[in-house]
Amino acid sequence: MAKVISRAKYDKFFSIAGIALLILGVILYFSGIRKIFDLPIFLILIGACVAAKGLISSSKKTAGEVVFSGKTFGEFLTNNAILLAMLVLVVVICILQPRFMQVRVALDILTQSSTKLIMALGICFTLLIAGTDLSAGRMVGLAAVISASMMQTATYANRFFPDLPQVEVWIPILAAIAACMIFGALNGFLVAKYDMHPFIATLAVQVIIYGTCSLYFDMPPNNSQPIGGIRPDFSALGQMRLLSGIWKGFPGISILIPIALVICVIIWFVLNKTVFGKNVYAIGGNREAAVVAGINVFRNIMGIFILASCLYGVAGVLEAARTAGATNNYGNGYELDAIAACVVGGVSLNGGIGKVGGIVMGVLIFTIIQYGLQFINVSPMWQQVIKGVIIAVAVAIDLTKYRRK
Amino acid sequence: MERKFSCKFVCLVLLMIGIFANAAFSKDMKIGSCIYRFNDAFMLRFRTAMTIEALKNSDESVTEIEIADSQNDQVIQNKQVDDFIAEKVDALIINPVNRMESMAIIEKAKAANIPVVFINREPTREMLDSYDKAWYVGARAEESGIQSGQIMAEYFQANPDADKNHDGKIQFIMLKGENGHQDMILRSKYSVEAIHAMGFEPVELASAIANWDKLQAMNIMNGFVMSIGPENIEAVISNNDEMALGAVEALKLVDYNSGDPEQFIPIVGVDANAAALEALINGEIIGTVLNDADNQGIAAVKIAMAAASGKPVNKDTIGYDVMDGKYVWIPYRKVTRSERNY
Repeated sequence: MAKVISRAKYDKFFSIAGIALLILGVILYFSGIRKIFDLPIFLILIGACVAAKGLISSSKKTAGEVVFSGKTFGEFLTNNAILLAMLVLVVVICILQPRFMQVRVALDILTQSSTKLIMALGICFTLLIAGTDLSAGRMVGLAAVISASMMQTATYANRFFPDLPQVEVWIPILAAIAACMIFGALNGFLVAKYDMHPFIATLAVQVIIYGTCSLYFDMPPNNSQPIGGIRPDFSALGQMRLLSGIWKGFPGISILIPIALVICVIIWFVLNKTVFGKNVYAIGGNREAAVVAGINVFRNIMGIFILASCLYGVAGVLEAARTAGATNNYGNGYELDAIAACVVGGVSLNGGIGKVGGIVMGVLIFTIIQYGLQFINVSPMWQQVIKGVIIAVAVAIDLTKYRRK
Repeated sequence: MERKFSCKFVCLVLLMIGIFANAAFSKDMKIGSCIYRFNDAFMLRFRTAMTIEALKNSDESVTEIEIADSQNDQVIQNKQVDDFIAEKVDALIINPVNRMESMAIIEKAKAANIPVVFINREPTREMLDSYDKAWYVGARAEESGIQSGQIMAEYFQANPDADKNHDGKIQFIMLKGENGHQDMILRSKYSVEAIHAMGFEPVELASAIANWDKLQAMNIMNGFVMSIGPENIEAVISNNDEMALGAVEALKLVDYNSGDPEQFIPIVGVDANAAALEALINGEIIGTVLNDADNQGIAAVKIAMAAASGKPVNKDTIGYDVMDGKYVWIPYRKVTRSERNY
């Protein structure tokens, strides 16, 4: 049954298919069918990407052949099972609820992915050293409460600090992130100094953070009231939209998306181009070997937890800005979503394996599935079931892949 | 120790003054009160209301109210009750830490023949029935739902154009609190029933559990705005203010509820917290419902004073309806732009 075609032919097929999709998109765009919403724009974009892939790899003139057989097909299926499942789900959702095919929906998904991505990028460091970080979600809450408490308008009736002047925006942000970094240092100290398992160390710190945050939140005159009356210059940090209205109906790109992208690039650089990044992989891959190789494990583990907590702090500040408010319950359970997204994105809980690209994919897959299920009004209980199945299947496939190798 | 002694000494002196004053004027009164935790915004209002009410009634006789912080610990509270009884207070006003453990307090009060008024956290009927001088003052949770539904229905009566598709029905979205929570169940149920009772047919477009949380409500509402379209949503009913404000933030992202009357979805919450009142003034929500701590505090003090002076507890003596001889239910209050009941 195996069918062999040359690489050049394979690339040509991609280019043609891509261009066909692109043309179809353009035709549909001008046909003006309202029922399919922004589907033509998506078709044009997908077509352009596929065609570009075909054209670029054909310009490289790589020799070789592509084999189509039951075996390679099966491998393709298992390697991309979660991605394919997501695509099927997206198609189903589009049929059930055509409103899903809107540019603003895609942008909304990206916006909601942004803070999750920042969280996941932080937590991936702790996963890379075969650890974990259960305190991540509570740090988000801490950063949100601290930053929001200092960023209220002067006229708001229930101010957290009634006599606080209107401080510069960056002061509360730095204060919030610094508070998180202190607790991150505590995490790192417990893990590095006492060789405590990160699960226990961060569990303890998680409880401490929540308690501390609740005490702060409960201080008179606030007395555990939700923090509101956020200054517009602060909430702009999470709500501002770029390029909005450059053409009719374009909702604009949330500022969170570029923020997440910049952080993503920084983390990619840290992981791949710095000594610290190499050390992280080395400690995660084989700790004893890393020690023998002269890597200062103590310093690196401290660095990992402090860097991670800094990212959680950023996520917390952005959540407070986006929602223009905060309570001590913000971020509850975020760490588990972030760990799940990392795992689906191919980060191994045994340490040493994981890429930034995979994490981005993991976060996107998770957000799209969650958003999509909510979109077609699937009951929250079923959403939980589906989420759990995705995590289990993703990890099972990943493990069989490594075993095969 | 010295300070404690001097405290006790001052108390003793005051007590003696009280005894002399008692002989000279009409009977003075002392009420002992325990609050489950001082650091609670709602109970703070409650305390203030009780103190003011006691002062108000101090014209001819002196009514003193001593309020103790039970620090969220039933053992501490029981000890405080013992101390009050030893001090021979005339009445007790108790906000139990654990409402199911109120029986111990009732037994102590019964043994000393001191009237006891429970507030905010309701002992069971059997407990209250076991002592003829035990009462409860509180609010009925379902009323918060009824009133939020009424605010919405009244808005539709006043603004016929709020019915965007002019079908006589209200297409709404419900944002719910924590799954299984008593307030979530009652508010969700009764708000819709109240809309129905006022002659509108409520049609639920979608509902979701947002766990009382602004952030979750915002994400969920974002999704509804995309999937249903803001032009098709006629109302948002939220189990509390925080989730209502989350919905506001989500709608602002599509330029709804941001000032343009053409692009507005009426939203109603419950709690009347500071952020919600701000949003109400800014016209981002149409109303919220207030759990009336002031009147509950006044009623509790009035019952305590009536019972302590041996009067029967009824509408004539306290000014509030008494149900079954045991319960005073203080209605929730609507807070809208026209009715600023706060």
